[in-house]
Amino acid sequence: MKSGAISGWSQGAGTMLIALTLTCSAGAQTRRFERHFNVQGKPVITVQNATGRIQVRAWDKSEVMVSGQKASASVEVDTEQVGNRIEIATHVVSENASPDALRADYEINVPTESELQVRSDSGNVTVDSVHGDMSFDTVAADLSLQDVEGYLMIKSIGGSTVCTRCAGRLDANSISGNFQLLQPSMDNVRVQTSSGNILFDGGFMNRGIYVLKNYSGTIEVRFSSTDSFDVRATSLYGNVINQAPVVPDRHSMPAPRGGLAKSLFGSMNDGRAKVELSSFSGTIKISKRE
Amino acid sequence: MSPIQCAQFERILEEQPDGPLPAPAAAHLDGCSDCRLLWSDLEAIRTAGMEWGSEEVAPPEHLWFSLRIEMESEGLIQKRPAAAGWWATWFGAAPRWALAGASISLLLIAGMLATYQTNAPAGKDSRVASLLPAHLSVPGATERLVAADLGKTLDGDLKRVFASLPERNPLLASSLRENLGIVDNLIAVCEKSVRERPNDEMSRDYLYGAYEQKAVLLATAMDRSASEGQ
Repeated sequence: MKSGAISGWSQGAGTMLIALTLTCSAGAQTRRFERHFNVQGKPVITVQNATGRIQVRAWDKSEVMVSGQKASASVEVDTEQVGNRIEIATHVVSENASPDALRADYEINVPTESELQVRSDSGNVTVDSVHGDMSFDTVAADLSLQDVEGYLMIKSIGGSTVCTRCAGRLDANSISGNFQLLQPSMDNVRVQTSSGNILFDGGFMNRGIYVLKNYSGTIEVRFSSTDSFDVRATSLYGNVINQAPVVPDRHSMPAPRGGLAKSLFGSMNDGRAKVELSSFSGTIKISKRE
Repeated sequence: MSPIQCAQFERILEEQPDGPLPAPAAAHLDGCSDCRLLWSDLEAIRTAGMEWGSEEVAPPEHLWFSLRIEMESEGLIQKRPAAAGWWATWFGAAPRWALAGASISLLLIAGMLATYQTNAPAGKDSRVASLLPAHLSVPGATERLVAADLGKTLDGDLKRVFASLPERNPLLASSLRENLGIVDNLIAVCEKSVRERPNDEMSRDYLYGAYEQKAVLLATAMDRSASEGQ
């Protein structure tokens, strides 16, 4: 009798468990989304997502695929296609939701030659192998770019940026974010951060212009013996540490203005690229690449 | 003071932007600290505008253009008939004062910075010095109400904009606040540097840059406040 009661209880519990699992699965299904857009040529893709991960990858199809998952029914994913322009946005539909419930994670596949405009507040943004102009507007979101090419514009407040094997041109500004440019092939780089660090680890291209500036923190550029550049490095209250065998400037560039600042001013090899490094109180390092 | 009275006061400002305040509005102003703050901000802005206008100093065209586009896209301003006063030209029928005030502060900073750049080689009695915050004792600087008020106005606007950020995104608000602290700290050290080296152009450049960063922060906070509030 007793064993029969236990058996009945366990059957009921099993049924409930299955029902619960199905319900959860159905919830997960409704929170997953996937949309496809056929495009031609170079599409422009705009993504606005306040909280969550955005992962963009290039593929060789003439199609944009947007997939991902939202944390709850408190947010909606809206997409719109007008010709070659595709807009993707996360909208809050419930004002009383908790911050975690407002998250949406995206995986977006785009044709290689796509233009991107991304806006995010928090959550990482990664872009892989896209060759097109890009702009990023972030607050606390970190940005990771890999094998991208084009005109890159980055505006961040506190998020950091790692750019690996990036090509083209970069214009970046942050307040406390760090910037790492690893193996870049860029001929025009302008990076400014207030309290973040800047690392430029790659060759300076002939006729390239590289302007790196911060207030505090470290600016480090790494050179190889074949690099050819004019350098002007000035730290008003910090230090300039140099390992480059520079000679007095060959191109009569004007000397740095700050009379009391620590500065370095000269050319390496033919001085083909122009490198300007400036810091208010940070350390500037010009190091030899290992 | 009830919100209806404040709303009426704002409507009067909108409808009669350049004239003297009607008696009921003046009476309301006496008893309402919020509207008094708004009125004093607008007066400071009006004074600054007239002063700058008289000296024919204008920021670069593209700067005004991009700021205007930004404000229009956020619905902060909309076009009005030319016959309306300048307040009405800038603001729509339902002004969002917190953001609008911040926008104007941003425009003023843009103007200040543009002026600064225009006058970059600083002379003893230069306008550059006069545009620094009034508490800086730069030799030859002429203290101006405009510059002093501008800093206060900006801080007040920042507080209002930060208060309008949605509570549902605490990370956003905390990041903006943390970075505001960083920028304020930078401004303080740069001001100290300018005090110690009043003729050093680099110090001034960095101070200019720090203010610019603060303006960027304000613009971002406004942008997020407007878009997340929708």
